[in-house]
Amino acid sequence: MFEARLVKGSLLKNVLDAIKDLLKQASWDCADSGIQLQAMDSSHVSLVSVNLKAEGFDKYRCDRNLIMGMDLSSMSKILKCAANDDIITMKAQDNADTVTFMFESPNQEKVSDYEMKLMNLDQEHLGIPETQYACVVKMPSAEFARICRDLSNFGESICIACTKEGIKFYAAGDIGTANIKLAQTTSVDKEDAVIIDLQEPVTLTFSCHYLNMFIKATPLSQQVSLSMSPDVPLVVEYTIHDLGHIQYFLAPKIGENDS
Amino acid sequence: MGILGLSKLIADVAPSAVKENEIKNFFGRKVAVDASMSLYQFLVAVRQEGQMLTTADGETTSHLMGFFYRTIRMVENGIKPVYVFDGKPPTMKGGELAKRKERREEAQKALEKAEEAGNAEDVEKFSRRLVKVTKTHTEEAKTLLRLMGIPYVEAPCEAEAQCAALAKAGKVYGVATEDMDALTFGTPILLRHMTFSEARKMPIKEFHLSRVLEGLELKQEEFIDMCILLGCDYCDSIKGVGPKRAIELIRSHKSLESVVKQLDPKKYPVPEDWPFAEARNLFIEPEVTDPADIELKWSEPQEEKLVEFMCEEKGFSEERIRNGIKKLTKARNSSTQGRLDSFFKVLPSPNSNANKRKSEEKPGAAKKARGGRGKFGKAR
Repeated sequence: MFEARLVKGSLLKNVLDAIKDLLKQASWDCADSGIQLQAMDSSHVSLVSVNLKAEGFDKYRCDRNLIMGMDLSSMSKILKCAANDDIITMKAQDNADTVTFMFESPNQEKVSDYEMKLMNLDQEHLGIPETQYACVVKMPSAEFARICRDLSNFGESICIACTKEGIKFYAAGDIGTANIKLAQTTSVDKEDAVIIDLQEPVTLTFSCHYLNMFIKATPLSQQVSLSMSPDVPLVVEYTIHDLGHIQYFLAPKIGENDS
Repeated sequence: MGILGLSKLIADVAPSAVKENEIKNFFGRKVAVDASMSLYQFLVAVRQEGQMLTTADGETTSHLMGFFYRTIRMVENGIKPVYVFDGKPPTMKGGELAKRKERREEAQKALEKAEEAGNAEDVEKFSRRLVKVTKTHTEEAKTLLRLMGIPYVEAPCEAEAQCAALAKAGKVYGVATEDMDALTFGTPILLRHMTFSEARKMPIKEFHLSRVLEGLELKQEEFIDMCILLGCDYCDSIKGVGPKRAIELIRSHKSLESVVKQLDPKKYPVPEDWPFAEARNLFIEPEVTDPADIELKWSEPQEEKLVEFMCEEKGFSEERIRNGIKKLTKARNSSTQGRLDSFFKVLPSPNSNANKRKSEEKPGAAKKARGGRGKFGKAR
């Protein structure tokens, strides 16, 4: 028996909004410790990793480990039926081929049940090594979203350069170039701060297309963290308060060579 | 010609070995293309009103058209192709080649008949069967590739075997061919439909050898023996043994030697003088150039020389060729998107066989692919 109840149901809605454009289908791995999801997009450029801790739910029970393969657009359709203040409960039997979503209105006057078929997905799991990143930048998530959206008007890719003075975003295209510099802040207000933890300066180029998918997670967190090292994938992480996190990995663009 | 009925067998027995993918998802991959098969494919398929494309003097140019545009299509999608040409056919292929010659003669007769009867549809059908790849075609294709800056390899013997060797050595990601015997040669990943035209909107079919073997419950040597039973280019097969029986026989007897011993000679007459051991050897140790000695280099296309060759000599429209070259150069100079799976290792999935629901739709798709093969497969 699996059951997970979340009083703040809107969080689950937001999580799904944050992944459904990148992934068509994915498997949720449910265990005693919580729910996890890891999947690459179909072109194998980016990877999404979601971790929802058992303690973050208002009620959590998972007797046996369970893999629930879901069509995420169907799941999103169902979650759209829940109001923002609804309490959401996910339920499944052991070895079941369906999952049930229950939405309760805060005053308990309306209860809706949705059942969805599960799928057997043949998915590749990637082993992600523990990495010490050359620089980790924490910044307001809304600011990052704005920068990605703005710069994608200029070119297909964004170059991110990080030095100890600050972080620079750069894009170039037919209409011209765009440059945005953010300096490290000294303000005490935690949520607005730009904090740079730097071992060595890094410059990497990434596709706007994928960054614009990642910023769909902005409503989940005030802050976003970008971890970069030369020639390895970027990690964009959003912490979901008290519940877990979403991490996006994105392979950098590589300069052309003949090898 | 490949292995008789192998793709259908894989689709039926090991559906999880086949994946369909869009061409754009192969960006950043190096792919070995069986050039001899492509040549043939282009000569058959690139046509206008049923006629091959020719210059004003009647020289065929279908193959050049095919090589030029389909290569550009791959390069635009971020794929780095390397073409592999056939060398001399192995002596064991003599029987198969003689059969093909016979079929050509039949087609020639049928064509004459159809022409007499004025049946346009049949004329087209049989003239396609008469297509023959000549030395000139091959040489012209090589010239074109050289000018386009695309590397090619001349195999000492069979192109599929050389492609497989390149893929096994990790020089390329996979082998693009329609011939299933590339798998028998040990290609880890076979890609079908890679050189098809954009207009057909065919997804790329990816066959993973390791999963094929897993699904068929065979080892590579047993797989080779099964392919010989199914029918390969190098020797006859046993009458009355179809795909189903072939896999059962190999599964229970492990090798052709013991299969031959066990079979009832009255029911399933083994061909006299059946050189299956030699055929097997050709698959296990084909004559190939050591991949370590092959250097693959993609270079800048030579625009002026290309225009001279394609437009002045072969009568292609200069505007189109220049446009094509522009695409080629643009794709070359734009930075390539890295692949995540080249940074992180794929962990072995614990549930690769628990693939029930997905597999149900596969046989239908496989049938379609077979239908397509009838028209566009290699039938020299």
